[in-house]
Amino acid sequence: MASILRYLESLGLVAMATLLGTPIRALLHPTNLVMLYMAAVVIAAFFLGRGPAMLASFLSVFAFDYFYVDPRLSFTVADTEYLVTFTGLLVVGLVVSGLAARVREQLQALRERERQVEALNALSRDLTSAVNLDAMLQAVVRHVNQTLSREVVVLIPRPGGPLERRASTTDFMLDESELGAIHWAFEHSETAGMGTNIFPNAKARYVPLKTMRGVMGILGVRPRQPGRFLTSAQRQQLEGFANLAALAVERASLAEEANRAQVLGEAEKLQTALLNSISHDLRTPLVSIQGVLDSLLEMEEGGENAVVLDREARLDMLENAREETTRLNRLVENLLDMTRLESGTLKLRLEPGDLQDVIGSALAHLDDPYKNRPVNVHMAENLPLIPMDFVLMEQVLINLLDNAAKYSPPGAPIEINVNCLDGKALVRIADRGQGVPPSELERVFDKFYRLNRPGQAKGLGLGLSICKGIVEAHGGRIWAENRPGGGMLVTVALPVEDAGRRGGAR
Amino acid sequence: MNDQPANILVVDDEKPIRRFLRASLQGHGYTVFEAGSGQEAIQEATGRRPDVIILDLGLPDMDGTEVTRQLREWTKVPIIVLSVRDHESDKIAALDAGADDYLTKPFGVGELMARIRVNLRRAVKTEDEPVFEIGGLQVDLSHRLVTVNGKGVDLTPNEYDILRLLVHNPGKVLTHRQILHEIWGLAYETESHLLRVNISNLRHKIEADPNRPEYILTEPGVGYRLRY
Repeated sequence: MASILRYLESLGLVAMATLLGTPIRALLHPTNLVMLYMAAVVIAAFFLGRGPAMLASFLSVFAFDYFYVDPRLSFTVADTEYLVTFTGLLVVGLVVSGLAARVREQLQALRERERQVEALNALSRDLTSAVNLDAMLQAVVRHVNQTLSREVVVLIPRPGGPLERRASTTDFMLDESELGAIHWAFEHSETAGMGTNIFPNAKARYVPLKTMRGVMGILGVRPRQPGRFLTSAQRQQLEGFANLAALAVERASLAEEANRAQVLGEAEKLQTALLNSISHDLRTPLVSIQGVLDSLLEMEEGGENAVVLDREARLDMLENAREETTRLNRLVENLLDMTRLESGTLKLRLEPGDLQDVIGSALAHLDDPYKNRPVNVHMAENLPLIPMDFVLMEQVLINLLDNAAKYSPPGAPIEINVNCLDGKALVRIADRGQGVPPSELERVFDKFYRLNRPGQAKGLGLGLSICKGIVEAHGGRIWAENRPGGGMLVTVALPVEDAGRRGGAR
Repeated sequence: MNDQPANILVVDDEKPIRRFLRASLQGHGYTVFEAGSGQEAIQEATGRRPDVIILDLGLPDMDGTEVTRQLREWTKVPIIVLSVRDHESDKIAALDAGADDYLTKPFGVGELMARIRVNLRRAVKTEDEPVFEIGGLQVDLSHRLVTVNGKGVDLTPNEYDILRLLVHNPGKVLTHRQILHEIWGLAYETESHLLRVNISNLRHKIEADPNRPEYILTEPGVGYRLRY
């Protein structure tokens, strides 16, 4: 339609030249009137394109002959000299229309170029402001979709894994045959699929996202109606988008790598710190034990400069060594428990257990220095049996009691409260120590956490984290709070019913 | 006990442990024999006729439980097993197979000596005496009478049976399975909640403070023992 209109317009131009020429016909030599037609041809060439301009050239020759050359209003030519004029008009008209049309085409190409560059710039801007890889890929999909009016998909491999769809327009379906083209393009780092020689039957065109470090992924575009190929300009533009997308993906993956390296470095630093603290804590008791043994051995062996110890001193040393052994054993147990909890090799032997029995057992196994601490136990009446691993739960209570005793002044009683509420058995252990700053209450269950207080840094900081691990393995919860009036309160909540095994044994 | 020092067979594949046990046991006046493997242990037990066997469960050639089982085919000699804490189930298996007591490594020498004394004492006890007494607890087996500090206590038949079983084996660790088997029968061996409830009730009746029991002691994850 548009082209027919253009041809009609060029007809109009010739008609106008004829009309303009009519009043001044008497004043001029007819040959000069040719200039009017020439102008019409040039205008047609410039604004309407090659075809209309050529039409205008021919029409001009006929109109000039018909209207201005004697005998007028007939195609007959009296003076054969006019044949030269005709030929000249035609040739010049055709050449001018060719040249003018080429200028027009170049202009259009330039505009197209400009649009392409503008589109790439817009994508580039969006990519720069995207916060992560997914946002970047979304931007790529959106821009390609808008610019080329096609369905779009981006596939990126997971680290060490296969290609995965990471972003796409809503109805981009990937089936087996498409995957073939995609993988070929990825493997060979060349465009494949629709409009190429490889997998030409695929429904979409797949462009590899190439960078210096290899193919980062695949950008696929599919026409909304099958069989509509991209123009070469569009293909070029697609390449441009692919390049930008490739750079973006590369940038994201580099950033990710740098991030990972940093995290790794920090973990390493933490591990070194932990190792230092553990080896210090494990070695301290060994030092005293070895020292005691050496002194006693030296004394037994006698000799000139042998140490001489009275009975009281020997007893004191031995007592010290024994306490240190107990401590060392607890440290080792805790480390082993932690390792088992973390590696998932800790197996619960759930049996219906009596909380009173566990508490009694834990109290009997308290470490020496805390053995004689007053403990008030309040048990609610008619507590049900709780599914638990007796030995591990005893460990939880020992650790909690140990902590309560360690962080409160000697002689301050420890309170144990047990009751049942909403299908949970609640064991509360409270001390009258200094408590914990509110901001730290969550962190006390972290591995290797120790309160930063002078003179109180005994132990590995594993006790509470082991409690947490064991309690959670039972499907329970543990938390700490500060008591009104000072001191800390730790609550262990255990489910009363183990859904899987009611009343069952091992 | 007679004047002859008791013979103790120490079975452990770790030489330093044998060495330290030998020194402490000899220091306490016992005669000590050593075995480094299960085979040796059975040989030595046959040849030396020890009064107590201290048996490590982690032996290179055979399972300590298997050693216990083979020994139990012909001897009632008290067996005290040694185990490390990650092998709870081995310990229970050994006790079920007939071991009398256990200690978890590392253990105090004082604790070991106490266990040896209890087991020797029980082994020489010729007949069950009709009245058992410890602290304020008195159990008259011939009349089914239980008194605490002179006051009579009413027990259900099951509670009494459990107490009687413990009294028959004073100081010996009885596993959950053994008690359940004895009182309720084979079919109930795994119904440990029955046992928990009865022990809890029993304690409320005979213990001054059930939170810190004096007579019926819990062996965590293993069973119970009567103080002796």
